[in-house]
Amino acid sequence: MRKSEYFPQKVYVEKNSLDFPLTKRILKNVGPVPSEVIDEPQEVLEDIKASKDAIGEGKKYLLISRQKGKFVKPCPCTPGYLGCNYFILNIDLNCPLDCSYCILQHYLTNPLLTVHVNLDDLWRQLDIFLNKKKHRTIRIGTGELGDSLALDHLTENTADLVSYFRKKRNAIFELKTKTVNIKNILKIEPAPNIVIAWSLNSLKIAQEEEKDAPSVEERIDAARRVSDKGFRIAFHFDPIIRHPDWEQGYKEVIKKLLASVDSARIAWISLGSFRFPPSLKSIIEERFPRTKIIYDELIKGKDGKLRYFKPLRLELYKKIIGFIKEWGDEKIPLYFCMESEDVWREAMGWIPKGEENLEAYLSSPLG
Amino acid sequence: MKKQNLSLKEIFLEDERFRISYYFSLEKQILSIKKVGLLNPPLVALRDKQFILVSGWKRVLACIKLSLFSIPVFVLEEEDDLKSFLVAFYENLATREFSLLEKAEILRRLKKFGEDEKSIVKGYLPLLDIPPTVSNLESFLAFSGLEPEVKKIIHQKSIPFSSVRMLVGFTTQERKLLLPLLFPAGQNKFKGILEDLKEISKRNDISPKKILSSKEIQDIMGSEKLSPLQKSDSVRLILRKKRYPALSLRKESFDSLLKKLRLPKTVEVKPSPFFEEENFSVNFSFGNSEELQANLLKLQELSSRKEFSAIFKFK
Repeated sequence: MRKSEYFPQKVYVEKNSLDFPLTKRILKNVGPVPSEVIDEPQEVLEDIKASKDAIGEGKKYLLISRQKGKFVKPCPCTPGYLGCNYFILNIDLNCPLDCSYCILQHYLTNPLLTVHVNLDDLWRQLDIFLNKKKHRTIRIGTGELGDSLALDHLTENTADLVSYFRKKRNAIFELKTKTVNIKNILKIEPAPNIVIAWSLNSLKIAQEEEKDAPSVEERIDAARRVSDKGFRIAFHFDPIIRHPDWEQGYKEVIKKLLASVDSARIAWISLGSFRFPPSLKSIIEERFPRTKIIYDELIKGKDGKLRYFKPLRLELYKKIIGFIKEWGDEKIPLYFCMESEDVWREAMGWIPKGEENLEAYLSSPLG
Repeated sequence: MKKQNLSLKEIFLEDERFRISYYFSLEKQILSIKKVGLLNPPLVALRDKQFILVSGWKRVLACIKLSLFSIPVFVLEEEDDLKSFLVAFYENLATREFSLLEKAEILRRLKKFGEDEKSIVKGYLPLLDIPPTVSNLESFLAFSGLEPEVKKIIHQKSIPFSSVRMLVGFTTQERKLLLPLLFPAGQNKFKGILEDLKEISKRNDISPKKILSSKEIQDIMGSEKLSPLQKSDSVRLILRKKRYPALSLRKESFDSLLKKLRLPKTVEVKPSPFFEEENFSVNFSFGNSEELQANLLKLQELSSRKEFSAIFKFK
């Protein structure tokens, strides 16, 4: 597990990204790490892609680039299952951690850790987006295509993001991480619409499948400190993975979590069982030959992704929801990520009527 | 490069250093030579005072079958093996598609003749329509090193690369045990057998050899009543059940319920794929309105029966 902050072996700066303030900040924060200005990353990418483990190799380098497309996108969710109407903010792409199950291994064509530095475009796009959605509350976060805090000691983006979103009361802004990189967060004043979230798993899965991530205990401790500072916190048990003694494994973590943090400060807990597009399987097999998680009873779901056979998913969910209710406040909002209506009904006891219903449920504790 | 006539006996065919094509049929080549002659002379090179074939195995073997005495050839004056091989490679690249096995043999030779790994990945894999990664190169090299009988099956059945990749992960002994199962199987079953076997082995920490040597499977393989295809299918079913125990159990229970319901032969009740959705579907066929009504009546009668409601437990 990575005990220290991430530093790349080298920073590549796209020529047209050189003059941005964020570029200068990153180059200052990386210290003695060598950097090179490049016209475009094609040549670097080709070299990395020809290496034995392009995905792992790409994590060693940081690319400073401009976002040429949209910073804000609706979370694609998955066809045939209920969505949660989430919006994603793509500032950082890719993640220095190396979880065996990570969807980014399949999703991103560029293996380099990438930071988009044209923040003026980001704020302008966000203003337009939030203005369009001004009559409803939206949830938006940066932790979909990267870890929200893993590069924060280099980018210091959290301060700017929190200071932007604290004034936007129709948005709930979430930073989602597996790290304990909270130094900058602890310097910021909290706001009711800012949520700092951690992805958690059983100790065994965290240890065996979440390479370079801090331990679950460290994550819980970081969450407690952030909560003590006054932030709302959230947790994602996603992916929930079956393994020998999984019941005991998840029980232990949930017990530990809910004994450490105040349930009333928890904005939500999401649950999602292990699922992935079939093409990720060969990547996992190749990069993590010792893992067994892909050999469980995974069937092709309505969306074409592999997921546990439904009775197995229901068993996982019912147990985990039971543990949360046993040791936490009954009122902690729980939701499923990418699940079907019948699973909602059977495991949660209710079905959100449309995405806005779920949105209202998750934003209600904010008043 | 000069063109000359060469007696077929002068070509030393035992030296296969440049050969990339195996397991082909000569029929059409023989017909072509019979009808129009050898229009495209093979390529040879001189090594240790002997002419060896660089390109044109099919043509030369067809000429031998036709008992020709001499044929026109191009003689490469290049002494370097890599450079000679590249002449044949680019000549073929421009005129035809390579099979998986040929691609594997090409890559093996490039490596053998001194091309470095990075150049092969970046320079040659894309030319062969293979994504340029080291692991793809390694899999192709491993494929070229498989036992000839395994390579032959793969080639003859046009087995896709994903299955070949799995096959190279087994040991020689395991592949020997697998051959009788794979030989009668089509592409999908071939892949299914390998995938299930590999995954059961990895999940349960049991070697594929031990799984294949189990009494249950050995009884099937030793049966005199079953055809090779039946053996292959039966073993596939056993592996399927081991790989997906909960799903298999549910399928069996569902099928056994349907059996009890004694549906008419023309009516089929099906759950959603993998029981993932809550709905069931009913299919029936009819040729006239009487048949339609008879089916509908039967279905109506069935749906009112108490036993039928058991089907909804499978939601």
